[in-house]
Amino acid sequence: MPRENLTSSSSRIEVKDETGRTVRIPQPVLRIVSLAPSVTETLFALGVGDRVVGDTDFCDYPPEAKRKTHIGGPLSPSIEAIAALHPDLVVGTRGINRLDSVHALEQLGIPVYATDAQTVEQVLTSTERLGELLGAAEAGRMLKANLRRRLGEVDRRLAGLTPKSVLMIVWLDPLMSVGRDTFLDDALRRAGAHSVIDSPQDWPTVDIEQVVHLQPDYLIISNDNAEQVQRELIQLQERPVWRRLEAVRNRHFIVLSEAMSHPSPRLVDGIEQLARALYPSAFAAEAAFAGSSAWNCQRYAMASSSQPLSPFLQIGGCR
Amino acid sequence: MKPLTLRRVLWSCAVLSAVLLGIVLLALRLGAVPFSFGDLGQNLWWLVSGRPGKISTDFRLIMVDIRLPRILLGIVVGAALSVAGAGFQALLRNPLADPYVLGVSSGAALGAILALLAVPAIPLMTPAAAFLGAAATIAAVYFLGRRQGQLDSGTLLLAGIVTASFLSAMIMFLMTTLASRELRGISFWLMGDLSTTLPRGLLWVLIVGFLCAAGAILTTASDLNVLLAGEREAMHLGVDVTRVKLVVYISASVLTGLAVSVSGAIGYVGLLVPHVMRMLFGSDYRLLIPTSAIGGAIAIVLADTLARTVVAPTELPVGAMTAMAGAPVFIYLLRRRLA
Repeated sequence: MPRENLTSSSSRIEVKDETGRTVRIPQPVLRIVSLAPSVTETLFALGVGDRVVGDTDFCDYPPEAKRKTHIGGPLSPSIEAIAALHPDLVVGTRGINRLDSVHALEQLGIPVYATDAQTVEQVLTSTERLGELLGAAEAGRMLKANLRRRLGEVDRRLAGLTPKSVLMIVWLDPLMSVGRDTFLDDALRRAGAHSVIDSPQDWPTVDIEQVVHLQPDYLIISNDNAEQVQRELIQLQERPVWRRLEAVRNRHFIVLSEAMSHPSPRLVDGIEQLARALYPSAFAAEAAFAGSSAWNCQRYAMASSSQPLSPFLQIGGCR
Repeated sequence: MKPLTLRRVLWSCAVLSAVLLGIVLLALRLGAVPFSFGDLGQNLWWLVSGRPGKISTDFRLIMVDIRLPRILLGIVVGAALSVAGAGFQALLRNPLADPYVLGVSSGAALGAILALLAVPAIPLMTPAAAFLGAAATIAAVYFLGRRQGQLDSGTLLLAGIVTASFLSAMIMFLMTTLASRELRGISFWLMGDLSTTLPRGLLWVLIVGFLCAAGAILTTASDLNVLLAGEREAMHLGVDVTRVKLVVYISASVLTGLAVSVSGAIGYVGLLVPHVMRMLFGSDYRLLIPTSAIGGAIAIVLADTLARTVVAPTELPVGAMTAMAGAPVFIYLLRRRLA
């Protein structure tokens, strides 16, 4: 981010957020309210989790996030609950918050900074930038360098391999996938996958006929709820149209943790999981690499041991 | 029917206003952030008695800056929708008429969506564009709904309904094809939602607009009573039917436009409140219009308080609440009256 954006005035700095709005942020920022799970994850990854005084009902990672004061869901948070926490800054994301909430908070003089990452690279720079604004610039730089190194490692291992075509199932009924301008589509590319859906909409509703025509190699679901995933996969295999998919007949399902669907530093965990699930042989040699996303794997293993998944399931990154 | 006296109008309004005051105090007390009645009373006393310096900052922030403006907005919107509903029911001589039957809310929604797509970052563009959408729809339906140069109830109703469904189809088309991230809020808007805080100035515009339009309908109240018996009869009794219908059409449409442009399409209130008031106070429009205004305010403030508290801290759109609570209440009153 260009430094010129930061113009100091007494104890506030004026910056442009990622949606282009001008925000005056007090310095230092000691009380933060997060309006989205991905933002909460980013703040904890930056090491400023102790400054988060409120987050949403859906913020469940890391586990400490669940113990924060909840201010409602990301779509309709309680403005008064946020105001009562006296935040120095509210951080939201254009991806799931409503502009109405932003305007309502601004009306009360509460500054709102919105992130809007549409690529994996932007997730990284957005994280680093948040670090700068929150007085955790060093942590942000290191986090970004580390994530970049891990992405480079995935790139190196996948070099020369042909991307495999996939259908990312964001929602089953109606079938929704990802559009080309989303961080998720970019994350799929980084993991050596190529989404068969090419849509200008972010979360397009897809006709199953089109998917049958495109015949993706793999179907991908990102969900931490093992029971729900299993139910969906069983349902899906019972539908005549879906049985016409090679991927369904060959049971080429990849289940990823929710890390994959949040534009936060955890996204890199998701990319690693998917890359390893798609190209096991490229990752077979070294065991050390597995350490980087150990937590997610453990978590997933726990989820699946309580409710065993069918043997045909291929669990990303948890081998 | 008892003869209508000014005394009766004032008494009815006073009783309803007392209920409204009670509901407002309840609405001030309840919310995601808890306050006791003691705190509320103490701080309100300081506020009223001109010692604002003593009020705690939290109270000022939560009560004065967040809850009170929202309650005021609810009062104006509820009153506007109910008076508009009563007006349309008389104009169209149809008990099923509500403020949205002629497509005003669909036109406003289309305006709001276009504004969200074109200039999402400007806060006041959405209500402004919604009002423009409503105004355009009012004008279009007016020209489509005329027969032999004047408004004809049947033609107006059909023209309005068709316009409404055409606009709804356009909205569905835009929402499925454009699915921009800016449109996420529109589902709340279509349900009706009071969570957006408006600048103080806009609230005043709203109040003045409401008083003018509702006042205009009130001046036609005795003519509307005659009109309900039939247009021909009204004309024989010396009522300027053309003028009355035009005044009611424009005023009720403007009331609806004002309400939907700031709060979206809150359903049921505009249909049910006038009927409930008819059951309670009789169908004389001179009494029905003021009681509907206060009754509508009560209904919306109550519904919004529930919307804010039932799953707190998450807020429901108030429209979800009015739809859920409105139907059973209405059925209860209807059956009780028949029993």
